[in-house]
Amino acid sequence: MQEIPLETHDLTVAYDKRPVLYGVDVQVPEGKLVGIVGPNGAGKSTLIKAIMGIVPITGGWVKVFGESFARGAKRVGYVPQRESVDWDFPVNVMDVVLMGRYGRLGLMGRVSKADREIAEACLDKVGMLPYAKRQISNLSGGQQQRVFLARALAQESDLYLMDEPFVGVDAATEAAIIELLRELKGRGKTILVVHHDLPTAQTYFDMLMLLNMRLVAFGPTEEVFTQELLQKTYGGRLTILSEVANTVMKESK
Amino acid sequence: MSIWSELIPEFSFEQVFVEPWTEFLDPFIWIFLMGFFVTAACGFLGTFIVWRRMALVGDAISHSVLPGLVIAFLVSQSRDTLPMFLGAVGAGVLTTGLIEVIHQKSRIKTDAALGIVFTTLFAIGVVLVSLYGENVDLDTDCVLYGELEHVTLEPLSSVFGLFEAPGSVIRMGVVSLLVVGLVILFYRPLVVSSFDPGLARSMGMNPAAMHHALMSLLAIVVVSSFEAVGAVLVIAMLIFPGTTASLLSDRLPVILGITLVIAFLGALLGMHFALWLDISTAGAISTVIFGMFLLAWVFAPRRGLLWQVFR
Amino acid sequence: MKLAGESWKRFCGLSFAPALRWALAGVLVLLFAASAEAARISDMQDTNVWEQAIRFFSLRDDVVRTALLGSIFLGISCGLLGSFIVVRKLSLFGDTLSHAVLPGVAIGYLVAGEKDPFAIFVGATVAGVLGTVVVNLIKKTTHIKEDSSLGMVLAGFYGIGIVLMNRIQKLPTGTQSGVNKFLFGQAAAVSPTEVWMIAGVAVAAVLMVLLFYRQFLLGSFDIGFARSLGLPAGLFHYLLMMLLAFTVVVSLQAVGAVLVSAMLVIPAASAYLLTDRMHRMLVLASVFGIFSGVLGAFFSFLGNSLPTGPLMVLAASSIFTLSFLFSPKHGLVSRWRKRRRGQKRIENENTLKAIYQVRESYGFAGEGVRVKDLALRMGETTDETRRRLEKLAAVGVCDLKEIEGKSYAFLNPDGWLRACAVVRNHRLWELYLTNQAEYEPDHVHDDAEVIEHILGEETVRHLERLLDYPAEDPHGKLIPSLADLQRSLTKGSSEDKATGYRMPNQ
Repeated sequence: MQEIPLETHDLTVAYDKRPVLYGVDVQVPEGKLVGIVGPNGAGKSTLIKAIMGIVPITGGWVKVFGESFARGAKRVGYVPQRESVDWDFPVNVMDVVLMGRYGRLGLMGRVSKADREIAEACLDKVGMLPYAKRQISNLSGGQQQRVFLARALAQESDLYLMDEPFVGVDAATEAAIIELLRELKGRGKTILVVHHDLPTAQTYFDMLMLLNMRLVAFGPTEEVFTQELLQKTYGGRLTILSEVANTVMKESK
Repeated sequence: MSIWSELIPEFSFEQVFVEPWTEFLDPFIWIFLMGFFVTAACGFLGTFIVWRRMALVGDAISHSVLPGLVIAFLVSQSRDTLPMFLGAVGAGVLTTGLIEVIHQKSRIKTDAALGIVFTTLFAIGVVLVSLYGENVDLDTDCVLYGELEHVTLEPLSSVFGLFEAPGSVIRMGVVSLLVVGLVILFYRPLVVSSFDPGLARSMGMNPAAMHHALMSLLAIVVVSSFEAVGAVLVIAMLIFPGTTASLLSDRLPVILGITLVIAFLGALLGMHFALWLDISTAGAISTVIFGMFLLAWVFAPRRGLLWQVFR
Repeated sequence: MKLAGESWKRFCGLSFAPALRWALAGVLVLLFAASAEAARISDMQDTNVWEQAIRFFSLRDDVVRTALLGSIFLGISCGLLGSFIVVRKLSLFGDTLSHAVLPGVAIGYLVAGEKDPFAIFVGATVAGVLGTVVVNLIKKTTHIKEDSSLGMVLAGFYGIGIVLMNRIQKLPTGTQSGVNKFLFGQAAAVSPTEVWMIAGVAVAAVLMVLLFYRQFLLGSFDIGFARSLGLPAGLFHYLLMMLLAFTVVVSLQAVGAVLVSAMLVIPAASAYLLTDRMHRMLVLASVFGIFSGVLGAFFSFLGNSLPTGPLMVLAASSIFTLSFLFSPKHGLVSRWRKRRRGQKRIENENTLKAIYQVRESYGFAGEGVRVKDLALRMGETTDETRRRLEKLAAVGVCDLKEIEGKSYAFLNPDGWLRACAVVRNHRLWELYLTNQAEYEPDHVHDDAEVIEHILGEETVRHLERLLDYPAEDPHGKLIPSLADLQRSLTKGSSEDKATGYRMPNQ
């Protein structure tokens, strides 16, 4: 029987008591490249963060490879939004990629030659090997994204969660990234990508998750990418839902 | 103009730079070591505090431990390390707790909550010191800029029969070793959770636990430095070494190394200046490391002002 | 003790007028407690507290008059400027500024050769401005973040100040220089010249705020918008910062450098909890500022050698604690009571809903509901159910009757309407979630359990319109409609058959 890389049931998240994601049920099958699509404020990044337990969930549950996230964490790779980290941090490109190996090394394990070689190979794959010794603030947006990707590769995970990896990158980088994601998929990895550009979403992903505060649809791209469902996703916020969410927040204060 | 000529006393190289290392080595070596240990422990830990944008939390804790120290003394009637430490940690926990409560249960923002809590606790502490000062053996001067020189008045105690040193110097030395040791031991989780908490989380680390551990360590360092440098100057020791070093290097291990060098130079020069000008050693050290920051800010390769102008 | 407990109970059950009275009583108790402490202090001084207090409030002494006047004006400027600090989230900036003026104080003293208020004022202002400039420069030219650069200027300038002050005290004239009073403040040491300066700054602050209230408000709330209107927002920002610097500098003698920021932040934060309007906040903050200032000066006077700054801060913190707990709208206690009321209401509404459901299971036949059936429905013992019903009876929507040895509950028309309304809210929301928000029917119940109690009439109308006035919920149960409810209300009778099948009559 195949493992289910990611399953959520009735996943509900509230920020400051204000619900932002309502009852999301998904089962992501193995070896798929999945796009998470929806308007601004639809809770796309929140979904990823809730899966990883970075934002607390208020209801429902998440399973990663049939286990709680804490247990399955070793098999999950993460690419955060580029702005979420401080690029002035005093580390160079190689340090960042090696961070991808830390999950395996534990507290005391030394960074071995093999780890270094893996990190170098990953850097090479994204075309960043020549920059290995650069301090990270001296990189362009596209280069920073490539470094993050290399780090995710170095994690050698089975499930990848990527938050807007295509934001602020040049066309060449975007093409290189999608190439790489397809290659990963070819090796049986499962990848969830938060994406905000509809036209490219249709061509990039096998499956789409249409999200707007609740899950509108989840399925193969050709089935889900329909005028009707997109209209439902983008056709205005569910005004009552957010109205009521506001009331809930006020009442509980 | 006479006031100015009296402001700077006569300078005698012999007296300021030579005698502390020859004739009067015994008191001065302890002042130097104490200064070095305090600045090193604060600076080493402070590097992470700065990167995690917790600089002002350090400020808050350093002020609010005061009532804890005084009350612990009044209750236990002793200057033993343990009750003092418990009192200070209690005050530290109370600070963070109160800030949380005010922030969550009202619409006061965190910065104002911080400003309300630590100043109030500090005010309580100052009033207590003013009332019971003579019993507590703390005075407002000590609160304001520490009394690092007092280590020379302490009786020497022996360490495993190997050598003898004043108790507070030994204690501060242990704290510095603890800080350096823990930072090296937990280097990886510390770096990852400071740089990218999301990644740390995805690796099964617990960034929240890391945060609390760091806060506790910060409290320990602040408390043990309190008598030496007071409530305010500890901020200088926490922030200057790390920020100065980060102007000089891009690599964290190198930066951590530089903070130790800064601590060494700061304590050394600070001690000599304090001796020459007959001023508070803690004030002198903080002024020296402020000066080092200014030098680095102007002259640092690549990141310095001059470099940016003439590039 | 028993009495106190009972008043407490009464306080919890009543509205805010008594709450205010109690808050006042609290202040008095606090004052008593504080004077008891002061009594202890004065024991050390061998003087009578009451004599001292009378001396203070009769304003016989010049020193007292000066100190009092200074504290009043200081309270005004701290309250006004502090309000802007708090709403603009600049609290830590205030802290930095107050520490950074210290070397200026020392240099002012050195230049004048004595404690000349004007020289110190100029020196401190220059140091404060320099500190602000350095913070901004560090931020602009390095990667160092704002909080660190604030901390660096705070500690760095303060360190230099300490070094200079140490030296001044070593001067032959230094011991009586009084510069160390600038650290924790001594209201009694305020000179008439200084009071003039404090008053000058307070008047300037009041005038500027009155003249440019709208500009300051807009600049604080939305600086981008202010710019788009063509306002010189930068100019007003600097004007505000300048006033802030002046306030800090003139406060030094009375409050001390270390705690000035508290006098800025705490009265303003207390006011912020009591009102939602900026102009009221400004007035309240000034009043609190005056109150803390005077109280601090008073206790410092009683305690003779006690520094004034910490005492003023403690007075301000007491006010803050009171408003944090008892503010009618944002206070902890009042919010807790509101929540308790809400929980009681929810509990009652759940009972009403259960009564509706039992009647529904009877096919709306008969008038009453058997308590046993209700208990079964709610999954609890009949005793528990009876207690619930008694709570309903207490608010006058339900009667409990014994008929032929069996207990029945009867809802009166008000209760029945409320029951219908809760059921309607629940079922409408379930329907909305399944139809419009594409929920699985098995996910909607829990959510509706919460939402049913908070849906307002506006939202219900909106929902009915959106769902095209539905008659049945996702589980096929009837939904009592808003129109039906209202019709029965206007007819004034719940027995009216015209309410139709959708409004099951009593």
